[in-house]
Amino acid sequence: MPEITGFSFPNDIHVTWSLMIVMYPYITGFVAGSFIVTSLYHLFDRQEFKPVARLAMATSFAFLLVASLPLQLHLGQPQRGPFVIITPNFTSAMAGFGILYSFYMLVLVLELWFVWRQEIIDRARRSRGMKRAFYAALALGTYDTSPEAIEIDHKAIKILAGIGLPAACMLHGYVGFIFGAIKANPWWSTPLMPVIFLLSAAVSGIALLILLYQVYAKLDRRPVVSTCVSALASWLWFFLILTITLEELELIVMAYEKSESWLIISELLTTRLSFSYVTMQMIIGGLIPLILLAVVVLMNRYLHEKVRNTLATVAAFLTLIQVFSMRWNIVIGGQLLSKSLRGLRSPYEPEMFGREGVLMAIALFVAPFVILWVFDRVLGIEEPEGSGGHGNPPAAPAEASAASHVP
Amino acid sequence: MEHGKHVFRIVILVAVILVVVILGRGLLIPKTYGLYGRYRAANVAEQMNARPVLHAGAAACAECHSELAAKRTAGGHRNVSCEICHAPLGAHVLADGSVVKPPIDRSFTLCARCHRKMAARPARFPQVDLDQHVNGPVEGKVCLQCHDPHSPKP
Repeated sequence: MPEITGFSFPNDIHVTWSLMIVMYPYITGFVAGSFIVTSLYHLFDRQEFKPVARLAMATSFAFLLVASLPLQLHLGQPQRGPFVIITPNFTSAMAGFGILYSFYMLVLVLELWFVWRQEIIDRARRSRGMKRAFYAALALGTYDTSPEAIEIDHKAIKILAGIGLPAACMLHGYVGFIFGAIKANPWWSTPLMPVIFLLSAAVSGIALLILLYQVYAKLDRRPVVSTCVSALASWLWFFLILTITLEELELIVMAYEKSESWLIISELLTTRLSFSYVTMQMIIGGLIPLILLAVVVLMNRYLHEKVRNTLATVAAFLTLIQVFSMRWNIVIGGQLLSKSLRGLRSPYEPEMFGREGVLMAIALFVAPFVILWVFDRVLGIEEPEGSGGHGNPPAAPAEASAASHVP
Repeated sequence: MEHGKHVFRIVILVAVILVVVILGRGLLIPKTYGLYGRYRAANVAEQMNARPVLHAGAAACAECHSELAAKRTAGGHRNVSCEICHAPLGAHVLADGSVVKPPIDRSFTLCARCHRKMAARPARFPQVDLDQHVNGPVEGKVCLQCHDPHSPKP
């Protein structure tokens, strides 16, 4: 039985939105965040993001495939998963996910197809038998890689990226809306919620890409392009500043207004959430990466390559913790306070092995990386060296892992 | 658009998928869906018929256990149904008419569900702070050692 302090109604002492509902915005955030990075290259022509543009798009796709699983695990009715897509409900806020999810999926798959089309055709040409049939089907039977066709692809990619960016922002902004629109809960009910969710999605997406890029470059024996890491670090810094400022401004407004809910929210933050909010979200995941990234961005010229990479990677790792803590504090924190605004329940401890347990959450987080690995096997995440080339071998491992070039 | 053949094909493919989804939607939405609200109306009757009657209410218990039923009606638990502690009638009198001993919940957690002290409960409602009220460990059937659930006294 949960311990209760203060005045709590008997029916609101249960945490029904469990760890899976923490994982849902966490995973969806990576979808939107990675897409923002890929759009910076495909839509806004930021050449410094070229080395991660395809990786970012594949990451967005991998996380998108997993994004609905936490909800299905929470609800326990997986057979209804497809229904939310095929039978859209335009008046239900919850069912809005199905509409946004399927629309974004459509746009992303189309964009993926145009981006990887040349690679699909190359693989179809190279392979034989069943494998060839598979790639030929993926290429829809046309092997046109003439400059004119590639030009059309570029136009299509630009248009799709133009539609995909607002779609990705809507998909994650919607998750914030689901919480922000619950007016009975003062810890959730603020119009800032979708904005904060969206910005922290950008933070988590960029942070994940910094980590993934380092790992992928190692595995694929490619040099880490330092301009790309610097650019990712500056954008991460920018979005982290915005996120943390908004998260704090929301509190400062509440505290200054001394609204009736502040009494309980201040107690919630200083007692039940003191570790996950103050220590993890604000200090370890917020302040420390802010300082590290400030060093990376402001002292960029003076930093040795390895130092820059290490600082950016550590900052990225800490920001991933910040974003997870933020999801946790919102989802779980909002359920620890009573609707009476005068009572709190004891902290929530997730189970270890169950359907909504810790192990399942870890499996959900690992699944997109497995999908990425399969994606790399089937389509190859990066273009073969010497772009448009037909299977040039990758650079020799010894020199590639140590070297990194600045264009 | 000599070189736009692949665009044409992918557009056709998307159109086919959309048509399949729209047709699939027609097939997947049941006939009685939306008759009274956003649920399948026929499901209510189906669920009702699919399940045997489990709870029958206090009046059904009184048909055989009139003495205890009268005691309950006179006491403080007059509004608490027998089946809350004694399990539903369906677990006591089976579908074939045979009678089995029902599982009875005598645990302190069942009592605590209503009588555990909570500031949100009306002050006149009998409620106790379990740790202070019980002299000894709070476990098992501890409440029933002093209180008679059929006619409880404070």
